[in-house]
Amino acid sequence: MVALGFNLIYGTTKFFHMAHGAVITVAVFGAYLAVEAGAPWLFSFPTAAILAGALGWGLETAIYRPLRKRGASSLVLLVASLATLILLQNLLALAFGSQTRVIPGTPLGQRGYDLPGVALTPNQVTIILTTAFLTALLVAFLQGTRLGKAVRAVSDDREVAEVVGINVDRVLMVVFVVGSAYAGVAAVLVGGETGIQPTMGMSLLLKAVIASIIGGIGNIYGSVAGGLLLGVTENLGIWKVPAEWKDSIAFAILILFLLFRPQGIFSK
Amino acid sequence: MDYIYHLLVLVGIYGILALSLNLVVGHAGILSVAHAAFYGIGAYATAILTTRAQAGFLSSMVLGVLVAGLLAMTIGLVLTKLSGDYLALASFGFNVIVFGIFLNWDGLTRGPLGIPGIPRPAILGLAFSSNLHFLALTFLVTALVYLIIQYLTKVHFGRVLKAIREDKVAAKACGYDADRYQVVVFALGGALAAMAGSLYAAYITYVDPSTFSVMESILILTMIIVGGLANAKGSLLGVFLLILLPESLRFLGLPGTIAAQTQQMIFGLVLILVILYRPRGLLGEFRL
Repeated sequence: MVALGFNLIYGTTKFFHMAHGAVITVAVFGAYLAVEAGAPWLFSFPTAAILAGALGWGLETAIYRPLRKRGASSLVLLVASLATLILLQNLLALAFGSQTRVIPGTPLGQRGYDLPGVALTPNQVTIILTTAFLTALLVAFLQGTRLGKAVRAVSDDREVAEVVGINVDRVLMVVFVVGSAYAGVAAVLVGGETGIQPTMGMSLLLKAVIASIIGGIGNIYGSVAGGLLLGVTENLGIWKVPAEWKDSIAFAILILFLLFRPQGIFSK
Repeated sequence: MDYIYHLLVLVGIYGILALSLNLVVGHAGILSVAHAAFYGIGAYATAILTTRAQAGFLSSMVLGVLVAGLLAMTIGLVLTKLSGDYLALASFGFNVIVFGIFLNWDGLTRGPLGIPGIPRPAILGLAFSSNLHFLALTFLVTALVYLIIQYLTKVHFGRVLKAIREDKVAAKACGYDADRYQVVVFALGGALAAMAGSLYAAYITYVDPSTFSVMESILILTMIIVGGLANAKGSLLGVFLLILLPESLRFLGLPGTIAAQTQQMIFGLVLILVILYRPRGLLGEFRL
């Protein structure tokens, strides 16, 4: 689902929004603070979504739009967003320390439902259901609404979209806010599985980038499929090779895909 | 005084890294975030060969440089098939993979424990054991690298690179094998980075994987972007600023981890500000 948000942003803006990783970490820590201050656990989802959305908006306004107006290449945007990622991630590490925390009230480790052969915790069930629901919602938005159509138009061809009178800046803003909010929700869910820490954004983000590329950039179903495939390969790989090599394997898969099938499994 | 020598040695080592990355990014237009991988290969070559095989410093450096150069050539062949964002991402991935090898191949690299007890070099009977002597050695190598790069970018080879950077298709149309030029530059950059790694290992006398993560690659990239791309003096200026600026934090007496995080934060901030307000960097001739 992080991949979903990332892919939406990349597909439309055509550059690697690395700061996506920082956005979701900030969101998840915001949610942590809110729950710590007495809000119920369920409240952490909207908090994270709103925070992430707001931060996405802020980054777009303060950094990306001025750069785009100057005609900066996507590489400049990539470096700028990488810098933002480093800045925010270390800011969080300074504020919260680097130990792992858990959002209070998360239904952790409870025994949930036993399907034949698999045991799922409530959190995992929540993840699956939320992902399915939010994917459907995003598809409905993109296919069914006027604004969604505009988003697709801009991601197909920005200049033509501008010519037919679409306000590209506004569309990009919407994309940033929605994409970030999605990732915020995803981060809370992941936080329920692994706990939260300032560096989680970076590793989540890299997974998202890889999943998006494997699945096919700019294709929503592709992100979900890519995420699934990546998860399965990584975890099957652990049978044969030690778990420490997980990251190396993920990136090796990425490089293979870039070389031999750069359009991903589901090309657009 | 010893502390100042220490800082200058660091400036020299990072100077080599920045100069060689500048050749790759600034002159040849390949945005690589994998420089720390080659840096690490050089460092580990010296560490492993001098502690286990009783090899001399120079021979370990030569071997490290060769390995890194050959590997960079292979990676370069892969990278030049890609372009733009994908190239940057693939180089990022390559750095992660090499970092994974440093971290997890316990038999060769001792994993996260690192390799201690690397001897300071002795070349032709001259021992470079004090910081001042080592500074002389570093200065010599850095100056050599600087001159080589200045020369390469002045002659025909450098002009072809510039043409490729500005417009790869046009350069190809003029009959230059653009991919091969880029591969050669990438291999050269990797080899020079390994040289810096060798010096680093022999200077600090200890290596561990954390020095060669992607963060380090981004740090070197920050230095050359701040200093200005495609300008050797700019790269050195960037190194000076970004080594000395965070060094002043030390006098605030912050504890280790906080200092490291503040330092990275400063790098991030400086990089954003430079990109927003001075996209050419301080002395740059080319902007991404």
